[in-house]
Amino acid sequence: MSLLIRLRSVWRTLSGSRARDADLDEELRSCVEMLVERRVAAGEAPEFARRAVLRDFGGLEQVKERVREVRMGRLIDETFRDVAYALRTLRRSPMFAGAALATIALGVAANTAIFSVGYALLIQPLPFRDADRLAVIWTDQSREGYPRAPLSGPELLDLDQRAALFDGFGAIWATTAAITGTPEPEQLRVGLVSADFFTVLGAEAALGRTFQPGDEPWGASTTILLSGAVWQRRYGSDPGIVGRRIEVNGQPMTVIGVMPPGFRPMMPPDSSVPDDLEAWLPFNRRFVEGPRGQRYLRVVGRMRTGVSVADARADVARVAGEISAAHAFYGTAGRQFDLQPFQADSTRDVRTALVVLAAGVAILLLMACVNVGSVLVARAAARSREFAVKAALGAGRARLVRQHLAESLTLGALGAGLGVGLGYAGLRVLLALTPPALSRMQLASVNVPVVAMCVGTVLVWMTLLSLAPAREAFRARAAAALQGDRRSTPGRAHRRLRSALTLAQVSLSVVLMVFALLLVRTVQRVQQMHPGFAADGVLSFRLALPASRYQAQESFNAFSRSLQESLATLPGAGAAAVISHAPYDHVPNWGGPYLAAEGADRATAPQADYRAVSPGAMELLGVALLEGRFFTESDDQRSAAVAIVDERLAARTWPGQSAIGRRIGVDPNVGGAPTAWTTIVGVVRHVRHRHPVEEVRPQVYFPSRQVVRNPSVYLVKTSGEAAALAGAVRERLRALDAALPVYDVRPLSAYVDDARALREFTATLASIFAAMALLLAAVGVYGLMAYSVTERTRELAIRVALGARRHEVVRLVVSGFSMTMVAGVAAGLAMATAGAAWLRHELYGVAPWDPIAVGLTVSVLAMVATAAGLLPTRRAMRADPVVALRAE
Amino acid sequence: MARELDLVRGTLALLILSTLELEPRHGVAIADRIEQVTRGAFRVGAGSLFPALHRLEQEGLIAGEWTLAGGRRTRTYRLTATGRRQLAAHRRDWQRAVQAVQLVLDGG
Repeated sequence: MSLLIRLRSVWRTLSGSRARDADLDEELRSCVEMLVERRVAAGEAPEFARRAVLRDFGGLEQVKERVREVRMGRLIDETFRDVAYALRTLRRSPMFAGAALATIALGVAANTAIFSVGYALLIQPLPFRDADRLAVIWTDQSREGYPRAPLSGPELLDLDQRAALFDGFGAIWATTAAITGTPEPEQLRVGLVSADFFTVLGAEAALGRTFQPGDEPWGASTTILLSGAVWQRRYGSDPGIVGRRIEVNGQPMTVIGVMPPGFRPMMPPDSSVPDDLEAWLPFNRRFVEGPRGQRYLRVVGRMRTGVSVADARADVARVAGEISAAHAFYGTAGRQFDLQPFQADSTRDVRTALVVLAAGVAILLLMACVNVGSVLVARAAARSREFAVKAALGAGRARLVRQHLAESLTLGALGAGLGVGLGYAGLRVLLALTPPALSRMQLASVNVPVVAMCVGTVLVWMTLLSLAPAREAFRARAAAALQGDRRSTPGRAHRRLRSALTLAQVSLSVVLMVFALLLVRTVQRVQQMHPGFAADGVLSFRLALPASRYQAQESFNAFSRSLQESLATLPGAGAAAVISHAPYDHVPNWGGPYLAAEGADRATAPQADYRAVSPGAMELLGVALLEGRFFTESDDQRSAAVAIVDERLAARTWPGQSAIGRRIGVDPNVGGAPTAWTTIVGVVRHVRHRHPVEEVRPQVYFPSRQVVRNPSVYLVKTSGEAAALAGAVRERLRALDAALPVYDVRPLSAYVDDARALREFTATLASIFAAMALLLAAVGVYGLMAYSVTERTRELAIRVALGARRHEVVRLVVSGFSMTMVAGVAAGLAMATAGAAWLRHELYGVAPWDPIAVGLTVSVLAMVATAAGLLPTRRAMRADPVVALRAE
Repeated sequence: MARELDLVRGTLALLILSTLELEPRHGVAIADRIEQVTRGAFRVGAGSLFPALHRLEQEGLIAGEWTLAGGRRTRTYRLTATGRRQLAAHRRDWQRAVQAVQLVLDGG
């Protein structure tokens, strides 16, 4: 049964029209029978008569359909009238209408903005052909502390040749290349790709073409694919760019194509393949013959149609098993591959944050609807007389319900429409304020599914919320209401309903506040945590020395040394140094195994991150030395190989003993074999340079004069603002060597900010939503109290007239309301605790039931609720009892 | 075309109301009566009759209830008070319209 038919059937059952259909059917059939009888009595044969009658009828179903049309037209007609009436009613109370519309609009706006982001990142299919077939393949070395590691060239070939369920595999590795020539030499972020990478990915060029098998050169690359951004920026969107020759890394290359300007590879963030790669070059033909242990390739696979993820994963695991057996290189541990669906993998870092925010705004929308709904309850109570009159005049129950609903739904629809517009504007503002580290959010846009979801949610809530008081409207004893008897019970029932709604609002705002506070506290803790280095006042830039001019290690070191010295003499600069990677860098990680003793099993050797640092680098960054010494200029290519390790490596390898003087086998050239033995001369505190919070792997530091890394990151320490030095640094570099492309000139703290960006962004948004929720809850509490007091004005006035003291009356009013508040807060805390347990992964250093978060929430809410609740009470206390009584 | 339909619809409503003035009837009986009284000039088909009946019912001009007729359960309609008033008003309008048209046709 198709969905549409099923929906219609539900609708018909709900609206009772199925019963009416059955009635109509019976009526028509009895008419048919009568006419048939008549004809038979006149002498016709029964079947003949029946056919004749049905023919005259024009078909039973057609007649039924025409009756239904009449009914439907009626419905539409009445609905229009109800909506018009609702609009007139709203216009008569502009303040209420304005407040209600604003409330709903705010809730919808927040939802529109967040759902747009969530939809774009999590739900919208990736802009590649059949993107649900794509998967990312990782090497799984969790045992050695490296669960998502890249693959090597031979392993890519193995997958290509041995895997059965895939259309193909593509590989990419991010690096840089220098474009020379006019207008200015530039260092570009380049992706080195296998020839079929774009085919596997399912992306096409905007001009020209992408690479194909056969484009791989034997030696240096001869073809280049440009990104849309570079084409626009550097070549003025020249339509004749394809086929032009440009000079890259000193080699002439032909431009074979240009990718569309918005193209992003959309790879997982920890794959170190940035979205804004500026050009692509093909690997050379022999790259699959490289060392088996040289892992650097990020691999994408395209599963065959109909293949499930589980099957693909098993296929890849099988290949891993085969090559583990076939190559002694893998030793006893063997190789494991892991496979993840592409879209899921590339959003794993934002998914929880987005879901949390989406839940937050959904709750906020519910609160907004509850807020408006509870005011509608009050209005319905005031209008119970009007309903009674209508009922007496003969309006059917269904009609009354529809009229009642018309008001709330009209309000909801208008508010939602307003909200979507506001949300669109809000999204633009949000995207403008988004830190560049979260650039993928720019994909968000307000589209039909988002709008439908938001508007639909509002309509559903408003329907549910207005059905409850609608029921009360009928139970109202018409006679009593018509007599104007205020003692009729709808008031009490309405008050209970409003209490319940306010309780809901209070508990929901507790949930949002607790969540927001937990996230904020997490951000605080992360900020407080010392990463092991100090980034303040340090300017960084990247420099790639062209291999042609700085071939020998000696000349490289000489240049580096003189540059460092020159930079240190800049006005305002303190010291200068070189490191291989910036903290939280987006360039691919550099790491490898380390052996503690000769003959140790290479295959199970633990993994460490490698870094190369110049003399003075660790001092500049404030890395704490625990044992031994830092590097000096005498640790260069002529002296013995030395290394510095971090405390984790030392403690794990030689627990309780000094690591100084010991030797470890490492693999700085990433050939796959840790055969370079080096002596440890220093132990430093662990530096959190991969992730602000997790401790990922131990570290091994090499002297940059012994292990050359190109490009590398230059650091200049200044006493003032790091950014202020940028101009001077560029000048000095141009003076030294005008042809050197310098790039990524930014304060070192920018990297730290990028790493924290997502967490801070989420916490900020969550706080905004919590504040909105608090406001809504306060308004709800105020409304409830005001309503309650007004409702009981007469009763209170009598009590005062009979001699009750003010504070007794206040206590009377407040006691009922306090129960509601306490219940609301308790319910909210229960829900928040349950929800926070699921939030656990987003939290750091903060328990889900963090006492500060809970305590702060409860106290703020108590204060706000007390203020909101006491305001109307005070007003009532000041009222003259005589006036109140007389007003009856 | 629309004008024709309105005329027809209005006329049919008038005919039905008129037929029910004296006594309640069910659908077939109404059609019979109309045919009979107009001496075959108006033969109301089921496709027009039943939608018209249901529309009149929704407007509250006639009320339907289930009865037993000829051993069979069927729906019988009767004129409501509102229906009676409408019928009188419609009658007046119809007279006026006929007189007006006649004047035009007479060339007066």
